[in-house]
Amino acid sequence: MATIEAPVLAPADSISARLVRFATRTPLHILLIGISVIWLVPTVGLAITSFRKRPDIASSGWWHALTHWSWTLHNYGAVIHATGMGHAWVNSLIITVPATLAPLTLGALAAYGFAWIPFPFRDTIFLLIVALMIIPIQTSLVPLLKLFREHGHLNNGYWGIWLAHTAFGLPLAIFLLRNFFITLPKDLIEAARMDGASNLAVFRRIVVPLSVPALASFAIFQFLWVWNDLLMALIFVSDPSKQPMTVRIPYLLSTYGQEYHLLSAAAFLLMIVPLVVFFSLQRYFVQGLLAGSVKT
Amino acid sequence: MKRRSVLVALAVIAVTAFVSAIAASASYGGKARHSAKSIEVFSLWGGSEKDAFLKVTAAFTAQTGIDVKYTSGRDFITEIRTRLAAGNPAEIAIVPRPGFLGTLARENVLKPLSSIGLSTAYMKQNYGPAWISLATVGGKLYAVPAKANSKSVIWYRPDQFKKYKWKTPKTWSQLLALTKKMKAKQATQGFAPWSIGDGPSQSQWVLTDWFEDIYLRTAGPAKYQLLFSGKLPFTDKSVVTALKTMLQIVNNNYALGGIQGILGTSFVDGIARVFEGAPKTPHAQLYMEGGFVGGIALGQINPSLKPGITINDFPWPTINAKFGRPLLGAGDLAVAFKDSPEIRQFMKYISTAAAATVWVSTGAVISPNKGVSGSAYPNLLVRNEAAQVKSAKVFRFDGSDQMPGAFGDTWGFALQNVIQHPSSIKSILAGFQSKIAGQWGS
Amino acid sequence: MEAPLGFPRLSQALPTPVEHPPAVGRVGLRTLGARLQGLLFISPALAVLTLFLIYPAYYTIRLAFYQSDFLFRFTHAIGIANFKNLLTNDPDFLDLSKFHGVNILRELLYKSDGGALLNNLHWVVFYITLSVGFGLALAVLAARVRYERMVKSVIFVPMAISATAAGIIWLFVYNFDPNIGIVNALIKPFHHPVAWLGRPSTVNYALIFAYVWASTGFVMVVLSAAIKGIPTEIIEAARVDGAGEWEIFRRVMLPMLSLPISIVTIWLFINVIKVFDIIYVMTGGGPGTSSRVIAFTMYEETFPNGRPGYGAAVAVIMLVLVAPVMVLNVRRFRSERVVT
Repeated sequence: MATIEAPVLAPADSISARLVRFATRTPLHILLIGISVIWLVPTVGLAITSFRKRPDIASSGWWHALTHWSWTLHNYGAVIHATGMGHAWVNSLIITVPATLAPLTLGALAAYGFAWIPFPFRDTIFLLIVALMIIPIQTSLVPLLKLFREHGHLNNGYWGIWLAHTAFGLPLAIFLLRNFFITLPKDLIEAARMDGASNLAVFRRIVVPLSVPALASFAIFQFLWVWNDLLMALIFVSDPSKQPMTVRIPYLLSTYGQEYHLLSAAAFLLMIVPLVVFFSLQRYFVQGLLAGSVKT
Repeated sequence: MKRRSVLVALAVIAVTAFVSAIAASASYGGKARHSAKSIEVFSLWGGSEKDAFLKVTAAFTAQTGIDVKYTSGRDFITEIRTRLAAGNPAEIAIVPRPGFLGTLARENVLKPLSSIGLSTAYMKQNYGPAWISLATVGGKLYAVPAKANSKSVIWYRPDQFKKYKWKTPKTWSQLLALTKKMKAKQATQGFAPWSIGDGPSQSQWVLTDWFEDIYLRTAGPAKYQLLFSGKLPFTDKSVVTALKTMLQIVNNNYALGGIQGILGTSFVDGIARVFEGAPKTPHAQLYMEGGFVGGIALGQINPSLKPGITINDFPWPTINAKFGRPLLGAGDLAVAFKDSPEIRQFMKYISTAAAATVWVSTGAVISPNKGVSGSAYPNLLVRNEAAQVKSAKVFRFDGSDQMPGAFGDTWGFALQNVIQHPSSIKSILAGFQSKIAGQWGS
Repeated sequence: MEAPLGFPRLSQALPTPVEHPPAVGRVGLRTLGARLQGLLFISPALAVLTLFLIYPAYYTIRLAFYQSDFLFRFTHAIGIANFKNLLTNDPDFLDLSKFHGVNILRELLYKSDGGALLNNLHWVVFYITLSVGFGLALAVLAARVRYERMVKSVIFVPMAISATAAGIIWLFVYNFDPNIGIVNALIKPFHHPVAWLGRPSTVNYALIFAYVWASTGFVMVVLSAAIKGIPTEIIEAARVDGAGEWEIFRRVMLPMLSLPISIVTIWLFINVIKVFDIIYVMTGGGPGTSSRVIAFTMYEETFPNGRPGYGAAVAVIMLVLVAPVMVLNVRRFRSERVVT
């Protein structure tokens, strides 16, 4: 089936015809480019603010900076050292990496089981997992907090939040990966089995290498999800020295001061990682997002 | 294939970053929070107030070798509650609300001072009876008053007053007349009479202070005490009268930016509107808040301010001459959630005049400690404030801070409602009263 | 299933279930071994899920029926008192007394002091409509230009950043000071500055708009992928028949997009039930309680107000609201139809 690959254009012939077409489509171009620019304005405004000196920020709009260019890195230095944002950035990393690898591993194993190993109640359990994908975090907050407190003070360190994120990331991992695994060529797997390979061997040697795109999709999606998370970190990481950036930044909005220069720099530091990941691995992220269009 | 290698490279980078992060954090945290030689103190100050406190903790560390980690939170009530629920509260917290202190004490999560080595007799030596009774719940003493401030002052620019030949008012009608004079100049000179910042960053307590100063002077200290202990309902006529008086100044006409401005400006930004560009013309002439404004203005907003010349305060005018000039004040109280030798040392230190002297020498606070001499205060602003607190014949503690739980915030929001819908004062008060009735003492 | 232009087709997300692969080799023992192996593979994941997701959810439901204090001690069972209080006695959650029935639908949509539950209703109506509207329009328009991918990327960027960052960005945009807030700077020549986040009458719409900004990218990407699945022949045929662009859009594209639109609508609906971060950062539920929503109420009642039993009741209500979607998902997945 042919799909809309290219813009739907009438056949182009002469230059004048092309010019006419361009002129009539100019409103469209203006609209689209205009909307794109407007969409970018809030983010760009923040970025520019973060590079301005503090007195400038209060006395003139950031759009003035476009013409009178005077900028500084001082805000970033202040935010990283004085307010401990650099420390918080490290914390974000410490929380995010295991919280991505754990559901990836456990999820991949489980997904393989659901895709390629028949066992009783397999489909029913899988449907249960489909249902679990959209459970809100709020329904588990209080019992988890009690659980972590009463069994090993898991709230003091990172174990609490690692376990919580793993649990909430598993349904999507299993769903996404299982749906990918079942598209793998049956013959390959059967051939390996006939050669006597165990399930684990099949998983390691055939399924995983062939599934890198799907694994990457989930990993990147989960990475950004955990990096950007606020609520779980707010509740499960109670030690202020272990809190990630998403939790520490609202603290800059404290009772005693709105320090715009610090806020903008901190927010930009928070955004930098997802932006880099997004722009370099866009395809995988979007893939994960689409597949998880039932998870938010 | 190229994509694969990109992914592999990224995975390697991620793992490397992770491992080095762990390694870095091991040396970052340095002394672990629960190690023998360090304690955590939690409060809500940021900016210049935080810096002032850090000088005190530095002195403590120099003296005892015990490390103090200061942490702050946006909503301190929530923070404390969440951490208690999670089972790991800070060792010590310094809270500005005796009402919340009472809630915590009644839940038995605080250590009574007598159990950590501070006897009531010792405390009575250092602090006056008003403070002792604030820190006492159910007959036991739970807190060390850490700092105090007066909330019966109004801040202004003496250079502007000199320029326009204005006089600092002594009565409410004089204050109103002054406001009108300033308003008359607004069109040509560009400044509004009042700057009020009651909006973002949880600034809603600013209006509660307005109300309390006015209520003290219109209904009297005795009724004030009844109102803020739950014995007088908020629907009482005296409350309505006080609010209507407040609206004579806190309205669209006299506040910078009008009601929108009040709701859109934070407490600190409100100070900046008056003192930021000194000695240039300010955006507004008057700012009402406590003694700590001076410290914030000098320390954070405009260090080039000169006390007495470009910044000063005058005491709250009288309204009803019969009630004179009662002092509305507030303060912060230090409490301990756990017991350990380090905690005992810190609590003891905070209760000494020596610590208080270090603290007040920063110019950010005044101390409730009896042993601090007036000469320890570095500038005339805090010296005046200390003198005002000491010489007050009638002293009342900030009312909204005496409300149980988080009702101080609820009251602040009710007042925001009042200034937006002045015709609905009675129903707003009724709504608030129904929420807080029965909650006193909880 | 080649993905054109770098964005995958929707069908990749929801393929049909496959039948069981045939057992190979010695049937009896092999099957038994395989069965055990299958359980082995899923048991770690299942253990984590049960311990940290399923059991806590059940426990929360139980907790909703108990009296509690802020140290999370649950004292005695009080039946449905928490639910009754929530729905009838708590004006911050649901306040029907403000609606006088003159034109109830209009009042429900435009009044902003009806409590958290009705705020969510505002969100459902405005957030979903605006996001789908913008996303659809952008997807259709961008499909006609060569730089479509760039536009998609730009609109999609806000989805990658956290709600915290988005909240800070929009705090700046809505700032009262025209030197900082773009909106107030733009209206300065016509109108005095407005405290967008400080007035109960505007705060919810301000928040909704900020979140629409963050979510439109998702709608656009999904619908854009779906539009690519529409066969060109049908469009060409309609053009040849003399149909105008708008008619083509209404009569040809829209019906074929109805399923993807319903998918994104459901996704947006779940977002509305769960929205928390952006409100926590931008207004903290304020001014007062006028921008509260359900998820925020759950947090506020459990932690600042120290009533976890009450908060659990709110969580149960959240669960009840998303339950239909859960059922829908399961049903959709079970059906044999291929989803395009």
